[in-house]
Amino acid sequence: MSDDKLLIVKDLTTTFATAGGDLPAVAGVSFDLARNETLGIVGESGSGKTVLSRTIMGLQPRVNTTVTGSSILDGFEVVGASENEKRTIWGTEVAMVFQDPMTSLNPVMRIGKQIDEALRVRLGMNRKDAKARALELLELVGIPSPVQRYNAYPGQLSGGMRQRVVIAIALACSPKLLMADEPTTGLDVTIQAQILNLLDELKERLKMSVILVTHDLGVVATRTSRIVVMYAGRIVETGTTRDVFYHHRMPYTRALLESSPKVANKSHTRLVTIPGRPPNLLSLSDGCSFAPRCKYATDQCHLVRPELQPSIEPGHTFACWNPLPINAEATLP
Amino acid sequence: MSSFSLEEAALMVERPEKSEPLGLFFWICVSWIGLNVFGAIFANVLPLPNPLTENFNAINVGPGLHHLFGTDDLGRDIFSRIVYGSRVSITVGIGAILIGFGIGAPLGMLAAYRRGRFDSFLTTIMYVLLAFPAIIATIAVLSFWTPRSLFKIILVIGVASIPLVYRVIRTATLSVATKDYVIAAKVQGATDRRILMKELLPNIAPIAVSFFLIGVATVITLEGALAFLGLSVNPPTPSWGNMINEARTVLTENVWLAFFPSLALCLFLIALNFIGDRIRSHFDVTEVKL
Repeated sequence: MSDDKLLIVKDLTTTFATAGGDLPAVAGVSFDLARNETLGIVGESGSGKTVLSRTIMGLQPRVNTTVTGSSILDGFEVVGASENEKRTIWGTEVAMVFQDPMTSLNPVMRIGKQIDEALRVRLGMNRKDAKARALELLELVGIPSPVQRYNAYPGQLSGGMRQRVVIAIALACSPKLLMADEPTTGLDVTIQAQILNLLDELKERLKMSVILVTHDLGVVATRTSRIVVMYAGRIVETGTTRDVFYHHRMPYTRALLESSPKVANKSHTRLVTIPGRPPNLLSLSDGCSFAPRCKYATDQCHLVRPELQPSIEPGHTFACWNPLPINAEATLP
Repeated sequence: MSSFSLEEAALMVERPEKSEPLGLFFWICVSWIGLNVFGAIFANVLPLPNPLTENFNAINVGPGLHHLFGTDDLGRDIFSRIVYGSRVSITVGIGAILIGFGIGAPLGMLAAYRRGRFDSFLTTIMYVLLAFPAIIATIAVLSFWTPRSLFKIILVIGVASIPLVYRVIRTATLSVATKDYVIAAKVQGATDRRILMKELLPNIAPIAVSFFLIGVATVITLEGALAFLGLSVNPPTPSWGNMINEARTVLTENVWLAFFPSLALCLFLIALNFIGDRIRSHFDVTEVKL
């Protein structure tokens, strides 16, 4: 096992037992993440990106869920670990920034206290040191007058401020991996950029790795080094951000890119959409899951599932029988 | 123009908005409950005639200066008996609900937080118990479990209230347990115990407190009903319920004997219910803020 890899995910599968049968929310996903790297996981709603990110850190539901494969985080096998074992890595190895800062803070606890908690419980700090460190963290995430904010309740802060607090809490125990699940979806556009820049800056400063889960390609475009594109619980294309944007081979990636609204478009331009709907994960065909919505689909696509295969660039793989020609240029959103 | 910095301005804006006042009637209700509890605790210190002393020279006297609420068919002072009677009602009310909360609340929270088989098992049992009318069950147990004492009454009603408390607390916890901040605490490495105490408990507290008060009111009614059936404390010890029961026989001669304990019971229950309801809506973030 090479030491420069922080996270190695192999053949990870998360299956939910539902009334309608087994639902494979994540099916055989493999990738790895280097230290101090930012990885983007993109896909539309229901593609399994959130389940994947939670399974990686062992946060899948306790009941009716089966996880197989392996997810090794800094030498710790998350799959199959007990809650008590996982508790030793939560916070210190991996921490999480949630989608909606309105619900990810306890409404009845002062924000200072919420940061203190982790410091005192996990790092065994005393009250005074924890407060000093909490103020430092608030300062670090760019909260003005942290001393006053320390005693504020979440309801007294704006959305952007709250998300900064959520990030401060996540950073409390200096995690090596920060999992950001749609960290800006609940915020307005100007604040989005601020928060993403903050994450970027913190990643450099604290030498963390970041996994950015999003459906918004604009978010990952400039801030990730690599991208994983997911569809129906599987990886359909992965590669460097550059390769995925400019040299993608999978029609789904192209469709996703095309459906981002572009500022350069004239006003009232119709948004490009992907026809059809994501497949029902309870009744997947044996073929490519995207085939029913794909204009390049052939009979083979409907019958046999394509495996990930390398493209010409190193580290760039895609799963498609009829890939787009090499160097198919697409405009950046 | 700008006599304060941006910083200060921001703080002014974000100063917590004054929460809506609880209202005069709320405080009247609180005072009323306080007065009743005070009376119950200090009944034997207060200048009251002995509630058990019979006086055959003053039978069925109406309300007046000498006997504030009059006397009953044995010449006992009604006012004094009501004050002493509140002891039984309030003790049973609070005691039984404490038993209900002591067992039902932790189980409810745990079930909602753990989910899975533990939850299904417990919830099924509780719902089966709930399907059985509490009053019938308590009547059945208390009729056979003699001699009756305050302790036994509290215990039986307390046990009967466990499923009710369990259901309310479980539902309240369920709606909180799936919130992101609970998961957030979990991924910061918080133990289950910490999550239950620091994340879940404070967030269900308003509902719990309000249900506690309404529960006390419900139990007092139940005790009244049992006493009316002669299944509460043994006479001559007064309780609101058995006073009403005794008054039944002399209703035509002395209507005050039934009226005053009923009034006491009624006002106490209205006050408790109102306080409980007001507390719930006061702390209900969604209702206040929107």
